[in-house]
Amino acid sequence: MDTLNELIGGFAAALTWQNLIFAFLGCLLGTIIGVLPGIGPVAGVALLIPLTMNLDATGAIIMLCAIFYGTAYGGTITSVLLNTPGEAASAITTIDGYAMTKIGKAGAALTIAAVGSFVGGTIATLGLVAAAKPLGELGLLVGPPEFFALMVVGISLLVALAGKSMVKALISGALGLLISMVGIDPVAGAPRFTFGSDNLLDGVSFVAVIVGVFGLSEILSYRKDTSASAVHAPGLRSLLPTGTEWRRSAPSMARGTGIGFGLGLIPGMTGSVSSLLAYGAEKKFSKHRNQLGKGAVEGVAGPETANNAHANAALIPLFTLGIPASPTIAVLMGAFLQQGLTPGPTLFTEHSEIAWAIIASLFIGNLLLLLLNVPLVGLWTSILRVPAPILTALILLFMVIGAYTINFNVFDVFVMIGFGLLGLALRHLDIPLAPMVLTLVLGPLMERSLRESLEISQGDFGIFLNRPISMVLIAIGVLIILSPLLKLRKPQALNEDPET
Amino acid sequence: MTTESLMAKPGTKGRIAKSVLAGIGAFVVVGVYALVSSLGLGLWTSLGPGPGLFPFAMGALLVAMSVLWLLQELRRPSETPGGADLGLVIAVVVSLAVLAAVLDLIGFQLGMFLFLMFHLKVRGHRGWPSSLIIALAGSVGAFYAFNYGLNVTLPAAGIPFLNSIGL
Amino acid sequence: MPRTRLAAVLAAATLIALTGCGANAGGSNNANNSGTDFPKKGKTIELIVSFSSGGAVDTAARLVQPILEKELGTNVEVVNKPGAGGQIGYTQLTSAKPDGYTIGATGSPSVVVSPLDPARGAKYTRSSFQPLGRQVIDPTVIAVQPDSPYKTLKELLDAAKAKPKSMTASTTGLQTGEHFALAQLQETTGAEFAPVHFSEGASQATTAFLGKHVDILVANVSDVTDLNKQGKVRVLGVMTAERAPSLPDVPTFKEAGYDIEAGTVRGYSAPAGLPDAVAKKLEAALKKAIEDPTVVKKMEDLGLQTSYLSGADYAQFWAGQEDDFKKVLPLVTKKD
Repeated sequence: MDTLNELIGGFAAALTWQNLIFAFLGCLLGTIIGVLPGIGPVAGVALLIPLTMNLDATGAIIMLCAIFYGTAYGGTITSVLLNTPGEAASAITTIDGYAMTKIGKAGAALTIAAVGSFVGGTIATLGLVAAAKPLGELGLLVGPPEFFALMVVGISLLVALAGKSMVKALISGALGLLISMVGIDPVAGAPRFTFGSDNLLDGVSFVAVIVGVFGLSEILSYRKDTSASAVHAPGLRSLLPTGTEWRRSAPSMARGTGIGFGLGLIPGMTGSVSSLLAYGAEKKFSKHRNQLGKGAVEGVAGPETANNAHANAALIPLFTLGIPASPTIAVLMGAFLQQGLTPGPTLFTEHSEIAWAIIASLFIGNLLLLLLNVPLVGLWTSILRVPAPILTALILLFMVIGAYTINFNVFDVFVMIGFGLLGLALRHLDIPLAPMVLTLVLGPLMERSLRESLEISQGDFGIFLNRPISMVLIAIGVLIILSPLLKLRKPQALNEDPET
Repeated sequence: MTTESLMAKPGTKGRIAKSVLAGIGAFVVVGVYALVSSLGLGLWTSLGPGPGLFPFAMGALLVAMSVLWLLQELRRPSETPGGADLGLVIAVVVSLAVLAAVLDLIGFQLGMFLFLMFHLKVRGHRGWPSSLIIALAGSVGAFYAFNYGLNVTLPAAGIPFLNSIGL
Repeated sequence: MPRTRLAAVLAAATLIALTGCGANAGGSNNANNSGTDFPKKGKTIELIVSFSSGGAVDTAARLVQPILEKELGTNVEVVNKPGAGGQIGYTQLTSAKPDGYTIGATGSPSVVVSPLDPARGAKYTRSSFQPLGRQVIDPTVIAVQPDSPYKTLKELLDAAKAKPKSMTASTTGLQTGEHFALAQLQETTGAEFAPVHFSEGASQATTAFLGKHVDILVANVSDVTDLNKQGKVRVLGVMTAERAPSLPDVPTFKEAGYDIEAGTVRGYSAPAGLPDAVAKKLEAALKKAIEDPTVVKKMEDLGLQTSYLSGADYAQFWAGQEDDFKKVLPLVTKKD
């Protein structure tokens, strides 16, 4: 009951009309900024921090949270409508989000994304209220060996993402991993695969790769006969999801919440891992898994829910342990420090009224995001009414600005062009793109945790099986990999259907 | 890497499509390159896995899978979809590459203006007024919006004359 | 076709509307690099932190950032580029244009040592940096789990001596301050721990320690100050001449009979080749920010002792450190 009282106190402090206006403005500005190319949530929040400087602690942090939600959702809008992800975490949404746009369901995709974000964010925040302390401790149980085992589970989803040919999925996965190795070795400092180029020392930029592989290669693969009609602007009626679509997305949102929330608790895990694994889970477990990739609502609901659940759950290690689990949370932590607050367990004892006001504002921010964006879906989708040649030119403009602004260097524009061509070649060879993105994200985390684990065990690989959590996780991964073999007969027949 | 595969026409039945062969060849080359260069990085050190271990494993996987794929193709060649619209690929890729190459020289405003005009007027056959308005908004407009409205710096011209007239 | 025209105008109008807010700023972008007009209003200065968020380097940078913004009159953005014990961020910093719009937090020994070991293939040397000012000295500490059987430094070191490598100890990466401290410890006392390198920085190391995945936390005073208050660590010793003000009950190594001093020294640098005017402006702004009383106070709360040195003095200090570390480098290079 104490918690409830304190939370109500928090709402009372947060729900002043000034704060609501700040939150509303933050959400709106954040969404607009998130839609613009080259500005993801981290840069977006950093850009708008000056606006919050003169506010009191509660107001400032409420506005920052709202900006953060807004920019993250803005990235989703471009993923769905323009096939150009604004940030890593919504990269996987482009697959089914843009496919939905192509069949005239852009409005439904955006609405589901907003609702999913709301659901994931709200449930994660409830978790923060109900059991922050034990949950924070739970995240600590994941040491390097468990982290590695989690990555094994993630990689095992390659099987799910494989589509028709496991061989091709593995080629795609190996390519992604090799690309992720480019740059300075994160442990010993040796440059790898940089071909003597200084531009490659920092690695190949993830955003440039996904913009090229998904966005540009899509434009390049337009056929003469289809290019003009590749995208259907939705009519007014199709702005909202149908009843079936709602029913289909509910289980996906539940899975997404679980994955995002669980992974968000773990320091060092990024939101893009959550959204990727949520997509993999849909591929593996959804009833409509064979429609994924062709505009299935599950492919939007799962990752978008996971993404926002992750973002909110990542606040739990910040509040309970003082550990910022992701770059965005770090920006938020910077704001805490500016206001003279030290994030960590002492926050609840020394400044409990502010802590609870912040938690209340998380709920408010999530709700505002929903209330603000669902009515605006129609406005956003009207961009699709722009004639095809103009839309293509504008998308190219977005891509160039997006790639250039990663490091303020034309090199990344060339990287994007190169990966556009690679993406086109892979599409032509019928090699799935999703495994490459999966390993591109998981590869560095996997390598780092493997090397840390072996340092802990001093070279003994048994460490992954001696520890109960990592053993269970590895068993799950192995089971996922083996599962297609166990029910070999029927899927095999389906797989050989030369449909595309 | 495998741009040559774009030129390939749809594979004739019963034979492996040229584009597939080219693709497999390219993957083998990348895989072998990864294998060889990761040996130089060191697979194992006194402290555990070295910088070369992961790339080595991935190179090996890539080569093995490419060989497997080749075997599959030999048994039953897959049908490849029709080639892409080559004219479009060249137009988009070359225009993007030229834009990226001259961006630092003639600046974002002029470069993007010409780029957009090419895609709107020349390729898109739009009318002059709409092409001009959109190209100006997307180049000069975007430049000012990003540089001054959002503190995101887009490149100005490197050539002094262009720079001095505000491009 | 009026509808298409309308759509085109609409698309253009949104972009032009955005332009409005910047129209007064004018378009003078002359390329001369005397730097007298530095910093241009509206141009963001990137402050590269070579470790992940949440560590002391990151925290300090985020504390000086708003004062820097005020002094320089433009945006300053803290960017984390963690990995390889700082090397990834330092590479990025030194390969940036020396125009003042990219500066970075530099911490020794990592920045001093990484170019010394040829195996790392670092693209920079000491002369690739232009030091702008030193901010803090953060001494190294050794801590154990609160339920550890070892109550004093001597007990711990004796146990490690009896059974070498039986306990794991965290560092923030190969050849970072913590790694050196462990090597020096082994050299002078014979106690040997198995190092685990968390190459993204102190927050990863601390997290792993809190989850009891490593036995010993080798860290800086600032990393353990708050944890010590919460009773989550037992700090056994500080590697300084005098006790740390934020850890008054923790004995120094000297008091315990071991002659070891170690710590991390942090400051801010730019890529070498900065125009004089720009360097002066940045140095002055950093001095203001570092010595700002509220910043100093907040740093103190976090267990960080401000110890400002000007750019020139920091450079000299850096050179001295390079000489010192060259001597002990063989202790932490790979033995194959």
